[in-house]
Amino acid sequence: MKTDDLILSLARDTRPIRRDAIRRRIAAGLIAGGIVSAVFIAFSIGLRPDLWLAMQGAAFWMKWGYTLSLSAAAMAMTVQLARPDSDRVRGLWLTAVPVILLAGIGLIELALTPRADWLAMWLGHSWQACPLIVFTLSIPIFGGLLWSFRSLAPTRLRAAGAAAGLLAGAFSATIYCVHCPEVSAVFVLTWYSLGILLTTLLGTLLGPRLLRW
Amino acid sequence: MRTNEDVLRSLMIDGLDGDAAAHTTLLRLLVPLLRGFYRRRVRGADDDVEDLVQETLIAVHTRRATYDWDRAFTAWVFAIARYKMVDHFRRAGRLRPIDDLEETLIADDFEAAAIARLDIDDLLAGLPPKQARMIRATRIDGLSVAEAASADGIGESDVKISVHRGLKALIARVQRPAQ
Repeated sequence: MKTDDLILSLARDTRPIRRDAIRRRIAAGLIAGGIVSAVFIAFSIGLRPDLWLAMQGAAFWMKWGYTLSLSAAAMAMTVQLARPDSDRVRGLWLTAVPVILLAGIGLIELALTPRADWLAMWLGHSWQACPLIVFTLSIPIFGGLLWSFRSLAPTRLRAAGAAAGLLAGAFSATIYCVHCPEVSAVFVLTWYSLGILLTTLLGTLLGPRLLRW
Repeated sequence: MRTNEDVLRSLMIDGLDGDAAAHTTLLRLLVPLLRGFYRRRVRGADDDVEDLVQETLIAVHTRRATYDWDRAFTAWVFAIARYKMVDHFRRAGRLRPIDDLEETLIADDFEAAAIARLDIDDLLAGLPPKQARMIRATRIDGLSVAEAASADGIGESDVKISVHRGLKALIARVQRPAQ
């Protein structure tokens, strides 16, 4: 094809594009994947029966505060890495803020709990399942993000994969909160974060392969 | 039309607003820039260069949502061009692992050179045409005074005077504080 013909055929579909198109595109993939994960929870392990009651308690919001703020920080990084000229990523430190805050709450929690109960609090009832469920639920979300990236232009594929993995993991953990009955900060800090870390690792490994364009 | 960052950027923004004519003009103006970019880096057939130019135009079009309005447009285009070039080398087997992309993508001198060229175009446009032409011939294209004189059908001393006056005017202009 002649280059000039190519230009004419490309220009034929010049649709207006919003300034915040990247953010919307990523949010669309995130939410579509999140819906799949939520439906999966509802039909497999089920919502926690006392969800409504739990949502009025502090523990639930501590967990959501952690996973949602981590999602927001990961989103900010993913948006930057979706651009081709993303040589410097700003706001990396933002991901540390939720972790440090939760660790602070965890320390207070430990101080208020007798030493004999520490292990039980740390392991909860579901420490073996939690990281794996977070990881599993993150896969549809990561798939949604891969769809988002189809019209984006990452050039640092490994970093973009890691950011997308972190976003998928943090959002998956957010959704998992509708099932998970655990209440302790040290539990969340360890086992949720482990699941999120696994997803980040997955993204880091797959990024160079799957985000090519 | 002179091709500089401001022109390209405003065409891009009009295109993003849905102006197909501006978008077409933008893509056309990018063709010589991209050809120059690839020609000096891809030692392949002209077909390879043209393939890369076309691939880059397609990417610029389909991924134009990734342009950040607050940032330089040429930097964005060359980032895409570099990515496509690395991808081309990788496929050709000369640069195997895509894992090393980040190191390979570190900005090279072409972008600076292209931007410098745009700046030079801007500066020379402010001079009388003969002076600009003579500076371009002797100082940028590397012709000798005699070659420039015969190419333009003027005397050698005329060339020297034009270059001298032109450079003096440029120096004055560059040294003047920005308004």
